[in-house]
Amino acid sequence: MKIFFSRNLAASVALTISIVAINVPSTLAHEGLAYQDFGEPGDASNVTRTFEIDLYDNYYEPETLEVQAGETVKFIVKNGGELLHEFNLGTVDMHVAHQKEMRMMMDHGMLTPTGMNHQMMNMDHSAMSMPAMKHDDPNSVLVEPGETKELVWHFHTPIAVEFACNIPGHYEAGMVGELEVKQ
Amino acid sequence: MNRLIAWLAPLAIVFGSTVAAPMVAYAGSYELTIGESTINVSGSDKTALSVNGSVPGPTLRFKEGEDLTLNVTNTLDVDTSIHWHGLILPFQQDGVPGISFEGIKPDTTHTYRFPAQQTGTYWYHSHSGLQEQAGVYGAIVIEPKGREPFRFNREYVVVLSDWSDEKPEAIFANLKRQSDYYNYSQRTVFDFFRDVSLKGWKKTVADRVDWGEMRMTPTDIADVGGYTFLVNGKNPEQNWTALFEPGERVRLRFINASAMTFFDVRIPGLQMTVVQADGQNVQPVPVDEFRIAVAETYDVIVRPREEKAFTIFAENMARTGYARGSLAPRQGMSGEVPDLRESPLLTMADMSHGSMQGMDHSSMQGMDHSSMQGMDLSAAGSDPFYAPGSGLSPTAANGGKFLSYADLKAQKPLYEDREPTREIEVRLTGNMERYIWSIDGVKFSDAEPIRLKYGERVRFAFVNETMMTHPMHLHGMWSILDNGNDKWNPAMHVVSVSPGTTVHMETEVDAPGAWAFHCHLLYHMAAGMFRKVIVEGGPQSAQLNGGALDEQASL
Repeated sequence: MKIFFSRNLAASVALTISIVAINVPSTLAHEGLAYQDFGEPGDASNVTRTFEIDLYDNYYEPETLEVQAGETVKFIVKNGGELLHEFNLGTVDMHVAHQKEMRMMMDHGMLTPTGMNHQMMNMDHSAMSMPAMKHDDPNSVLVEPGETKELVWHFHTPIAVEFACNIPGHYEAGMVGELEVKQ
Repeated sequence: MNRLIAWLAPLAIVFGSTVAAPMVAYAGSYELTIGESTINVSGSDKTALSVNGSVPGPTLRFKEGEDLTLNVTNTLDVDTSIHWHGLILPFQQDGVPGISFEGIKPDTTHTYRFPAQQTGTYWYHSHSGLQEQAGVYGAIVIEPKGREPFRFNREYVVVLSDWSDEKPEAIFANLKRQSDYYNYSQRTVFDFFRDVSLKGWKKTVADRVDWGEMRMTPTDIADVGGYTFLVNGKNPEQNWTALFEPGERVRLRFINASAMTFFDVRIPGLQMTVVQADGQNVQPVPVDEFRIAVAETYDVIVRPREEKAFTIFAENMARTGYARGSLAPRQGMSGEVPDLRESPLLTMADMSHGSMQGMDHSSMQGMDHSSMQGMDLSAAGSDPFYAPGSGLSPTAANGGKFLSYADLKAQKPLYEDREPTREIEVRLTGNMERYIWSIDGVKFSDAEPIRLKYGERVRFAFVNETMMTHPMHLHGMWSILDNGNDKWNPAMHVVSVSPGTTVHMETEVDAPGAWAFHCHLLYHMAAGMFRKVIVEGGPQSAQLNGGALDEQASL
């Protein structure tokens, strides 16, 4: 219940303030934003730039990226480590919130340090009046060791965000990078 | 700048600086001098034993793969030694008199030579007599060639220790004469009447009789009292301070270099992410508090974002004192210092049934176990490394997460996981009243060495038949703790075993020669909780040549 509502709530709040926020200079820690504030899933046929991001235990290579507002960027995310990692585009506050969700998914056994429990993630939780606890936010990919995943994103606003891994402990240990969207 | 320091360093050693400073490398050669110096952490000048004039001694910084030459000079009038705690090296370099070598005689310099084969935070200390208690200890940092699996902007070594104004030999004599000499919080008549009003006469009398028959008291958590607890050689008033800039990630290398003290460490207002345990990378665990046993190390990352002072608070497990330092934007600042929490009481759960072997069972018929019915076994955390209902089971002061051994998973396992080839049971035993501590009921001077074969994987079961926590340390080889994480079981060098529990660890026997194995509580080790471990076989050049070091280790 909680996850579903907070996403909707965040989205409606974001819609309200985004109209006002267009001319506000970008800062790192926006309050109450959702991914819709800085973009949307991009169209693979419009990709203007591609980045290769390598995931290791527990850090990214590279750790800083720069794009132009209006670009559609393809991230090719490859996990060269032995642990499960995430590549998630968002602000500091979004990551903090998502860390709580990931912690819950770990406690419930949907995620392990080395992989995803696909069966559990697709379970129908409606009987327990819980939402489907899939990890299907469009601004994020979970990549198992040895795998490669792609994320295509259209950035429409100048902003400074982070790409981060919200698996418990990884962000705190420094698995986070900076992405600046310039004018 | 480095060259200038290289010129000044020998002068600093000669004139005995009292500031713990990083050792300067003479291209891989390090000079350590053990001697007497003055310390003032308890209100007046006392004589300590020190390394290069400071307590703790200088932090040794090595690089992974460096060929080390360590020249240790003894200016005392008794033998001394330095043991490199947690380091993998040829057994002759391990620094234990009677097992590795003959010790360092007065007015001589002994040279240790070995390569730095690993990375992380470790420490060194004397393995002669009770010199470790008197101040002969310091930190070791081995920097990796590549990058580490975590990021930080700056780092600090945080050595926690215990200082006593009493001479260590006097402390030991006191313990032998009267084992509860330092138990200042014996239960009083006031406790008796309070319990009567809470539980009634019958239960209270029965409880006192039960404990009395075991000749134990539930308040007996720490053997030694009267300590001043130090952070990097400074007492709480002296307030050792680490500087940071808000937003930085700071790495804190916690080392418990104390003789007898378990510290519960927290930084109110700041979460800590544990990234290394005993020098080995672990999958990062964010916690609010952790317990560091004697001789263990934990590396944590903190990220203070506010421009204010945070208190680094290390409360001893018995809750009779604390070590304290600060993390602050500027020197001279300090945060609020928390009050000590209530002293824990051991419970019947901490009394292992193994210890009943030697007891007169007839007197136990009348033991009133009904008071255990109401014991809330689910309370006080569910750490599987404490007996259910244990009085020592830790909880975080802020109600948050307290680190458990069960949380530690290797970031990258050191050894391939395989079935052990043999199991050895090691019973941790003791007679508190006579202050005799032993292994399998036998003290060191009466015992045979433990013999292992090169190439084995031995599974040890530590069965704690006492009511004290024992941090067991095997020299020269890793102890792979079985905490249920299979191939991710972490490699450690100290395994702390709580009362009434059995803990398993496995060792890949890959270091030929003779090694020490003992409880790292200094006075327990001195009282007999020690064994020599002989590893038979292995590469010809590295083997122990029979006879040379077969006499008893001098403790």
